[in-house]
Amino acid sequence: MTSEFIDELERRIGSEAVVRDQGELLTYESDGLVSHRSRPGVAVLPQTVEQVQAVVRACHEADVPFVARGQGTGLSGGALPHPEGVLIVMTRMNRVVEIDIPNERVTVEPGVMNLEVTRQVAPHGYYYAPDPSSQVICSIGGNLAENSGGAHCLKYGFTVHHVLGAEAVLPDGTLVHVGGAAVDTPGLDLLGVLVGSEGTLAVVTKVTLRLLRRPESVRTLLAAFDSTDDAGNAVSDVISAGIIPAAIEMMDRTTIRAAEAAVQPGFPDAEAVLIVELDGHQAEVAAQFEQIEAISAKNQGWGVQVARDDAQRGRIWMGRKAAFAAMGRVSPSYYVQDGVIPRSRLPEVLRRIRKLEQDSGLTIGNVFHAGDGNLHPLVCYDDAVDGQAELAEQVASEILSYCLDVGGSLTGEHGIGADKACHMPKMFTDDDLATMQRVRVAFDPKGLCNPDKLFPTPRLCGEVPGPYRAHPAEAAGLAERV
Amino acid sequence: MHDAEGRRAGGAADAVDGVVPRWVAEPASQEGVARTLTQAAADGHSVLVQGGGTKLGWGPRLETIDVLLRTGRLNEVVAHRHGDLTATMQAGTTLAATNERLGQYRQWLALDPPDSTRATVGGILATNDAGPRRHRHGAPRDLIIGMTLVRADGVTAQSGGIVVKNVAGYDVARLLTGSFGSLGVIVDATFKLAPLADASRTVVVELSDAPLVAAYATDLLSRGSTPAAIELATDPLRVILKFESLESVTAGQAEEAMALATSHGGVGQLLDADAQDQFWTGHERRVFAEEGTLLKAVVMPADLASSLSWLDEAAASRGLSYVLTGQAALSVLHLRLMGPAEQQAALVSAWRERLTLGRGSVVVRRASAELKALTDVWGPLGDTFEVMREVKRRFDPRATLNPGRGPGGL
Ligand SMILES: Cc1cc2nc3c(=O)[nH]c(=O)nc-3n(C[C@H](O)[C@H](O)[C@H](O)COP(=O)(O)OP(=O)(O)OC[C@H]3O[C@@H](n4cnc5c(N)ncnc54)[C@H](O)[C@@H]3O)c2cc1C
Repeated sequence: MTSEFIDELERRIGSEAVVRDQGELLTYESDGLVSHRSRPGVAVLPQTVEQVQAVVRACHEADVPFVARGQGTGLSGGALPHPEGVLIVMTRMNRVVEIDIPNERVTVEPGVMNLEVTRQVAPHGYYYAPDPSSQVICSIGGNLAENSGGAHCLKYGFTVHHVLGAEAVLPDGTLVHVGGAAVDTPGLDLLGVLVGSEGTLAVVTKVTLRLLRRPESVRTLLAAFDSTDDAGNAVSDVISAGIIPAAIEMMDRTTIRAAEAAVQPGFPDAEAVLIVELDGHQAEVAAQFEQIEAISAKNQGWGVQVARDDAQRGRIWMGRKAAFAAMGRVSPSYYVQDGVIPRSRLPEVLRRIRKLEQDSGLTIGNVFHAGDGNLHPLVCYDDAVDGQAELAEQVASEILSYCLDVGGSLTGEHGIGADKACHMPKMFTDDDLATMQRVRVAFDPKGLCNPDKLFPTPRLCGEVPGPYRAHPAEAAGLAERV
Repeated sequence: MHDAEGRRAGGAADAVDGVVPRWVAEPASQEGVARTLTQAAADGHSVLVQGGGTKLGWGPRLETIDVLLRTGRLNEVVAHRHGDLTATMQAGTTLAATNERLGQYRQWLALDPPDSTRATVGGILATNDAGPRRHRHGAPRDLIIGMTLVRADGVTAQSGGIVVKNVAGYDVARLLTGSFGSLGVIVDATFKLAPLADASRTVVVELSDAPLVAAYATDLLSRGSTPAAIELATDPLRVILKFESLESVTAGQAEEAMALATSHGGVGQLLDADAQDQFWTGHERRVFAEEGTLLKAVVMPADLASSLSWLDEAAASRGLSYVLTGQAALSVLHLRLMGPAEQQAALVSAWRERLTLGRGSVVVRRASAELKALTDVWGPLGDTFEVMREVKRRFDPRATLNPGRGPGGL
């Protein structure tokens, strides 16, 4: 990165929006995947779409790569800076542009936090459905880029089901409006491919979201099981019974104990617990709740807790959401993975993971979105013990291969990013990847927009993925991890 | 003469829009589709893809057809993973055949666009076509989780997979959904499914004017009612609700809807099981099974009432008549329009003038050659059209696949 280019950026958007100090730039060297680090050539903090355009245009003219960054909570290294590039930090573009209750829409700038959307519309009886556990600290722009999920996406869908339109700066600096505020806009579904493209197609500068009405009734149940097989079978039985709960989450003994030690949610000491939440019309919820209780009993569920009020419901969810961070007490370091399996295969895959735990001697905790088969195995290890980090890495890849063996996916919500790009050929053929590249070049012929992410490249795939460490915000107690 | 791909010379019986294709190919496998496209690319031939043929009248008038590729022999439900609530269907499988098969486990592909006995999975995806229960379940783009496609150059690729949650790689399946066959030939697709409900009830509510219709729908939803469909229809103007859930729940919700109708000055009618099936068939046929121009209009929900009132006036003043159905809460309207072509064209442009880009659209789906010549069937596509054009160019550089049928004439 030449200082002339940085001077040019300062001329175009003003020096107060440009960070060139090497020390300050360290703030941005990683996202939530802190094992991958790289100091950006320069960082900019635009406040207007014109500034974003000016920066992107300058990059386009000078062939300089650029990477958009939201709140930096991503877990796959999607916002990992390019050492010779510009990091476009979107946090100052955090205005709520329009709240349109009659049309059940809200338009925000991408730096607005996920939970802020719900806060803004709650007084009107509405909420924004996708609820990543990081919702206090992650941005709508990051959510759009990752197609983020959350515990309640089982019934309501992911970010892609709730974004109606986006304003975006293309990699040559052109401003475009993808989708809109109406439910359909004619044309190719560019929005469908922009969502989840991990910042590799454009820089998003405004987002229109769909709002949902708060459901009339919510009921939450927790049940304990003596084996993950029983818990897994209960999940299958719920799905087979034709019930789509708002959420079905599972924790195993390791993560239950960790959560108990950390926040004392009063969970039973069991091999597994399931948390099932139903919402919707009162009569329907009541009837389905009885079915859930019966399914739990049929699968030897015990220690059933039914939330009587919001406080008890909150306590159950606190236990669930604290589990991830609480693993820090069990182990100095751990890998987190995000593989997905067909939900009927839960018992067998969990058994394979259990066996791997015994064979490797490393503790593996499981806390995950059981209803849609999205695993989050946490492979614990100690950096201080020689060779354990490498062993843990092997164990973690082995688990990903179990997911692919049963027809699953490398990632359900955290994205491929820099972290799993090298695994992509295990899931997709060269032709599949080349077809995706055709989309890429249609948007970004010069390949300047978040390069070295999502697609396997030799430069990237020489590197060894590193361990998970607590995100700074998490360590500070601002968020728990699911 | 048939070769391995079921390719033969076209005849009068194969004519589309009065144009006889030079070749007709009916491949029975993914490899067969790939060979057909490779061959066509080598010959420099254009390819028109036909599923059930229910929507071939949509899109521009054809001059010639080199190869007509029919998906009819790709008609299998490849896998029904009932424990996972997912299924994979070949593109030529009709929606009705799909749902008959999935129904064995009391599940369904939760889409109800018109003409389910003829419309194929591939055609429904290519047009992102949906029906009344889109209100609850979403459109094809919301339900698709994986796809196998063959590009214009004969290369086969997959996107997504068989799991309901998956963010690995670009969502090419979603990009092809609604692309009107302009980017690739869909060979098979995987969807998340929905359980079939135990019981259903239909309530028909007649209301005297458009503002009342909008007020009734909003009021009902704000009371926690959870219909699977909330449809509009003219003439007479009414709201039709479909409740699908457990028996006791549908009965209760239907009763609430009836009571609310009375308090809005309307007349509610509750249909029993047999009557409701017949009713819904009739509802669909009123717009889709009769002669006339087909328009799809989308407006902002808060503008629904004013749009309906405007339409009434705009049609009458131009000597046009129409029949309308649509999803009230989503504000997606389907119109069958009748009357002089130049007046129809005038109505379409007048309507478009009322709408801001991104906040509404009017697309001409099916029309006479005369009307197609008088109007731009797609209307304005906004500032992303250049990107769409670029995507088309990257997928199909020689523009041989469904030429001119993609959005904006891509
Ligand atoms: C404690 C914790 C818990 C978490 N729980 C969940 C969970 O439950 N579910 C889940 O899905 N994820 C979860 N995550 C992951 C993460 O929070 C999400 O991926 C989130 O969407 C990232 O948002 P961000 O603002 O931090 O984006 P960043 O990390 O800054 O960026 C993520 C990606 O988005 C791109 N991007 C950001 N802004 C823009 C923009 N304006 N235009 C274009 N591209 C942009 C970046 O280039 C990058 O590729 C969790 C993370 C943590 C630390």
